Amino acid sequence: MSTHDQFQELIEAYAIGSLDSADRALLEAHLASGCTECAKALEEARWLVSQLAYLAPNAEPSDLLRGRLLQTVRAEAAGDQVRQQPVRGTVIPLWQWAGVAALLLFSVYSAWNERHLRNAVANLQQQAEAQRAERRKLEQELRAAKLQAHEAMIWMDPKSVKIMLPPKDPKMPQLEAMWHPELGLCVRGWKVPSPGEKRVLQLWLMPKKPGGKPMPSMTFWPDADGTLTAMIENPPEALSETQALAITEEPMGGSLQPTSAPMWVGGVS
Amino acid sequence: MFLAVFSTKGNDEVSLDATLMQQLLRRDVSAFEELYERHSRIVYSLVLRILRQGSTAEEVVQDIFLQLWRNSSRYDTSRPFVPWLLTLARNRALDHLRLKSERQRRREEQTEEFPQIAAAAPEYEKALDEKRRAERVRALIGSLPAAQKKAIELAYFEGLSHSEIAASLNEPLGTVKSWIRNGLMRLKEGLQPTS
Repeated sequence: MSTHDQFQELIEAYAIGSLDSADRALLEAHLASGCTECAKALEEARWLVSQLAYLAPNAEPSDLLRGRLLQTVRAEAAGDQVRQQPVRGTVIPLWQWAGVAALLLFSVYSAWNERHLRNAVANLQQQAEAQRAERRKLEQELRAAKLQAHEAMIWMDPKSVKIMLPPKDPKMPQLEAMWHPELGLCVRGWKVPSPGEKRVLQLWLMPKKPGGKPMPSMTFWPDADGTLTAMIENPPEALSETQALAITEEPMGGSLQPTSAPMWVGGVS
Repeated sequence: MFLAVFSTKGNDEVSLDATLMQQLLRRDVSAFEELYERHSRIVYSLVLRILRQGSTAEEVVQDIFLQLWRNSSRYDTSRPFVPWLLTLARNRALDHLRLKSERQRRREEQTEEFPQIAAAAPEYEKALDEKRRAERVRALIGSLPAAQKKAIELAYFEGLSHSEIAASLNEPLGTVKSWIRNGLMRLKEGLQPTS
């Protein structure tokens, strides 16, 4: 008997599971070597061994077993359907995805556009503010130029009347004024000391009318260099009705009546 | 020789089981129900013969059919269904009988949970319908001497090894080996269509 025949004799016993460990190990090694003939014989032997089940006496499982099994299987099948349904339910058609994509794009575009517009508005506001500032600067320069021109006209016009305002204190500089009957009144001086803290200089028009009270006019103060320039376009009293000009030191904001002695007084000739 | 007698009925039954198993893959409860109706008796009979206790046998049969339902994809539909199911049932019942025993480990080494049965059913599987084949198996094994029949039954229903059977029957080891091999050879010959 060849070695292969010896293995063939073991196959049925191996299929039924009765081989002792030594024989089993030998056969398994042989099968592992790739013997297709023995492998095929083993499959057929297993089929043959399975037929021994018919030796078992006939018996009938209970209806309870059938009921339990079918109940379990139906429940699991229903569970499968429930698990599958949400999947089916959540499948989103292509057109809905397209809609979502369009909405997303629109949202992104809107956000970008809003930011873009906000930046544009901010730029425009900055430009407008810069223009306003430039305009204010130009207006100030124009006003200053006009004022200078106005003052120059007052100082140069032959109709103007010059008024000298000598100080009451000899240490103070003299001021001078020029009054045009139509263009207004200018006052100027140099090296004028600043008034006290929270105090200003105020111009008063002394009427010719007997018993007339000093007419309060504008307040002003010298710059850091002591240069004093003030112009009153519409004096509260007419040149012809005014006897003299006086300047006093008053609280910030000016006063309705002089509260201190005049520091400068000049008669209108 | 195996093709001498060919039973259309037997072939149809094999085909029907394969079809039902394919339906089981699609979670068809009615296919499961039909498979249970067709094969629960022989499965239960086999398991009860091994375990000898009705309630335990029903538990194991329930496990077997639930495994069929839950793992139907692991069945190769090109292979004969009933021998595969019977081998599965025997393995499960012996697992239960010899849990944690040395013999269980030995048997597990030999057989897989989903047994490999011949891809192409032997011609005698096709030649005889299940009922006729069952009758022939009983007749063939029943005709063996009582000791030889007992040795085969101890091997198949108890999962005993040659040595254990020899010790149990108080017979020489060589005799037991011959009894089992010769008995199975006789069964094989007896199931051939010409016999």
